Amino acid sequence: MSIAGSVDEPSGPAEKKARSPVSRRTVLGAAAAGGAGIAALRVFVYPRVEQLLQSTRAAASGRGDWISPLGSERARVAHLLRRTTFGARLDELEKAVSDGYSKTVDRLLETRPAPPPSLDASNDFLHDRRLNVGVLQQWWLDHMLSTSTPFAERMTLFWHGHFTSDYRKVGLQTPYIYWQNLTWRDMALTDMRSMLMRVTTDPAMLRYLDLGTSTGQNPNENYSRELLELFALGVGHYGEDDVRAGARALAGWTEPRPTRTVDVTVDAKNNVVRKYAVYDEPATGTFVANRAYKGGQQTFLGRKDTYDTEKVVDRILAQPAAAEFIARKVVQHFVAARVDDSYVKRLGSKFRSSKYDVKTLMREVLVSPEFVADHSYRALVKSPTEFMVQTLKALQAPQLSRLAQLSAPGMGQVLFDPPDVGGWPNNEAWISSNSVVARVNFVTAVLSQLKTVPPGTDAPHHLDGVVGQQTAGLLNTAADDHARWFLALASPEFQLK
Amino acid sequence: MTEEIGINQLRRRDFLRAGLVFGAGAAGLAAGYAAVPDAFARAVYAAKTNGLANERVLVMIQLAGGNDGLRTVIPLQDPRLHDLRPKLAALSVGQALPLSDEFGLNQNLKSIKALWDQGKVAIVEGIGYPNPSFSHFESIRIWETGDPTRRQVDGWLGRTLAQNYDSFGHPLTGCACGTTDAPGALRDLQATLTVINNQKAFGFTGGGQIEAAVGALYKATPGIYGALFDTAMATARESVTTLRTSQATYQPMADYTDSQRLVYSSKNQLAAALQLTSELIVTGTGVKLLHVTLGGFDTHYTELTRHDDLMAYLDSAVGAFYNDLSAHGMADKVLIATWSEFGRRPKENASGGTDHGAAAPLILIGNPIKGGLYGQSPGLTDLDSTGNLKYQVDFRSVYQEILGGHLGADPKEILGAAFDKLAFIKDPAGSF
Repeated sequence: MSIAGSVDEPSGPAEKKARSPVSRRTVLGAAAAGGAGIAALRVFVYPRVEQLLQSTRAAASGRGDWISPLGSERARVAHLLRRTTFGARLDELEKAVSDGYSKTVDRLLETRPAPPPSLDASNDFLHDRRLNVGVLQQWWLDHMLSTSTPFAERMTLFWHGHFTSDYRKVGLQTPYIYWQNLTWRDMALTDMRSMLMRVTTDPAMLRYLDLGTSTGQNPNENYSRELLELFALGVGHYGEDDVRAGARALAGWTEPRPTRTVDVTVDAKNNVVRKYAVYDEPATGTFVANRAYKGGQQTFLGRKDTYDTEKVVDRILAQPAAAEFIARKVVQHFVAARVDDSYVKRLGSKFRSSKYDVKTLMREVLVSPEFVADHSYRALVKSPTEFMVQTLKALQAPQLSRLAQLSAPGMGQVLFDPPDVGGWPNNEAWISSNSVVARVNFVTAVLSQLKTVPPGTDAPHHLDGVVGQQTAGLLNTAADDHARWFLALASPEFQLK
Repeated sequence: MTEEIGINQLRRRDFLRAGLVFGAGAAGLAAGYAAVPDAFARAVYAAKTNGLANERVLVMIQLAGGNDGLRTVIPLQDPRLHDLRPKLAALSVGQALPLSDEFGLNQNLKSIKALWDQGKVAIVEGIGYPNPSFSHFESIRIWETGDPTRRQVDGWLGRTLAQNYDSFGHPLTGCACGTTDAPGALRDLQATLTVINNQKAFGFTGGGQIEAAVGALYKATPGIYGALFDTAMATARESVTTLRTSQATYQPMADYTDSQRLVYSSKNQLAAALQLTSELIVTGTGVKLLHVTLGGFDTHYTELTRHDDLMAYLDSAVGAFYNDLSAHGMADKVLIATWSEFGRRPKENASGGTDHGAAAPLILIGNPIKGGLYGQSPGLTDLDSTGNLKYQVDFRSVYQEILGGHLGADPKEILGAAFDKLAFIKDPAGSF
């Protein structure tokens, strides 16, 4: 394999190569690329970053790794904003750079979320008593595009994929799925105990995982199992007996009672009238004592007690595995797909000693050396929502949010409709022959709707000025700004974060 | 090192011309742009000297969420069924389509019953594995990798692709239809596969300039995801080109409809996915191992109508698929096999549904099948300590017969061990 380009790095760290999830494929893939074997990178047109890179060493293993620019504060700030917001315009980046990395972290964590506009006022919901899921999706996308606190939306999206529910099972006759979105925005940086109590009694979740119809006498195990497996502990840290004891202990919650009901004519021709629930304000589940378990003491996660919901949650949080479970998920979302266990342990320990304070955990993550380590650079793949919103932000085209809403199914991330109770997969799962076509087509569609675009010289800024040789060559020869933006946004570089 | 593709001709008008945006894919295809997918140009359809030479095809249908075996193949004579399932058992027993004195199919599996009557359906009872996991994700992974010890990372079909086919030079050999990401069963780091969610959208809307541009962009991409990106793009371009030809020559010869009563969580349009599968098979694209998914089987609540609807939906899609293959003269080559991560608990819960269970039957369909009941029903009197059915046949016995009997591959090489023989293939392909 020939090495082109001018970066002279003999070899990458051995342990990194071994960790690579695609190491075997890397070799095959490189062979497939016609033997071109371009293993080094060339810096493209962005003089400031080019200067930075004078002192940055590349880890050139296999087909080469990205040359991390994270030695510079400016690149670290851009990296931070790319991962915690929907990317920054040049002016936003300049502002954050002048504040500095540390102050920018403070601002992200300490600014109260800007509330989205009330959906009730803008939706038909009050007319026909039924949410329109397309309106709901676009309402959230619009807010992602316009909000002054995009970090809150990134966290809401994170929790939406974690404590997940889908509109198909929850239904659209109640505002439950909408409330759940408001809930995770409000609670995004609170503590795990409050969040576990809340998710247990969240009306959408009561339906989604059937706790709302379970009884202590004949429990439905669905919620108890996923609480342990997917929300709080992970496989291997509980047994089947714990699932059953949990199901009994948690039974008794039912959907909130509506403030009143109204009759709505759903089919005038056939005179079909249905009763619809009306809630004057968002509510949580109602506990009905005679549906609860009355068998007294039982053993749950190794301790005998008379368990109710609070005791179940507290017993779960008494397990060290709980802190590491959430820490690992945060890391895979915000830092890197594969990280050292010691890093997760360290974060888990801080998380636990802070009484599971999510803001503390996020601060630990964002200020950790691992977050800005060279091997974390472009170590994550943007989810479809992140990719589309960042594309529209970069092109200053928030008016095209409908395109994002319509394109989401083809890329595999439909808001309020995760594939299953595990939420969305991440990183390499977003890369398939289907998804690369869908992503390219989204960029084409957006550009075809825009007669004018921002100056093409802005485009490489969204790639930190760090591009592979192919991308560099194409950008350098692009005929006009549309072509330049297309190449930047459709490039593999832009799919990464 | 930028490839000479005249990329500097890509400009604003190329995007504005793309105009219609959604649905422009068909127009782009009709324009007849014929790209030569450079990355695979050398290898496409090339040497399969090490590969399997037969024309047999496998279509796996995943019933995601855990299909209730006791409502699919119903034990008609077991009185315990009514005790355990006061809400769920009564009607289904009365309405079942009898297979024998003992067992009946769900009343909505009418097309499958008709194929059973023709000796084209094998039902394997009591499928499972030791120490069952009741986690969807863990059990799916066990089925996908064919490894209950949870050590294997590659999928069993992915390994088959890597070891028996030249999928690298021919990425449509393994294909997932009707999904946006690759199913674990087909994944293997040494195999390439195609993922097509919707064939109408599977093409580059912007036309030739754009396809050429992205072909050049996704080359020698650095970083840990670089090879994945490059392979995905090269695979897409190759498959798009192949499909462009097949779309011109395929006419469905059966009634595929996804307008069945909307079933919760049937996000995967099974009929559309199977129609695409049929197209790939009958137009000679060289597909061998295909995977489609029908979701919604996690019936923890109001299972009665929900599961019946799912059965009707499955039956309608599979029936159309079989008829289509048959009308195209391809039915002798294709084996259709269902799988699901687990069965469900014999005892129903407070929500009128059932929780996660263990053993369940599998249904295999097609002309290659020697029809009949295989395996052994666990029975409802001898449940395990968790109140679940005890498995009688390891799921890898089914894989073994599919691999050795149908595809002619070496099952031991792929599964790592030999399992009890289940001889449900009529004319075994190979010598294994």
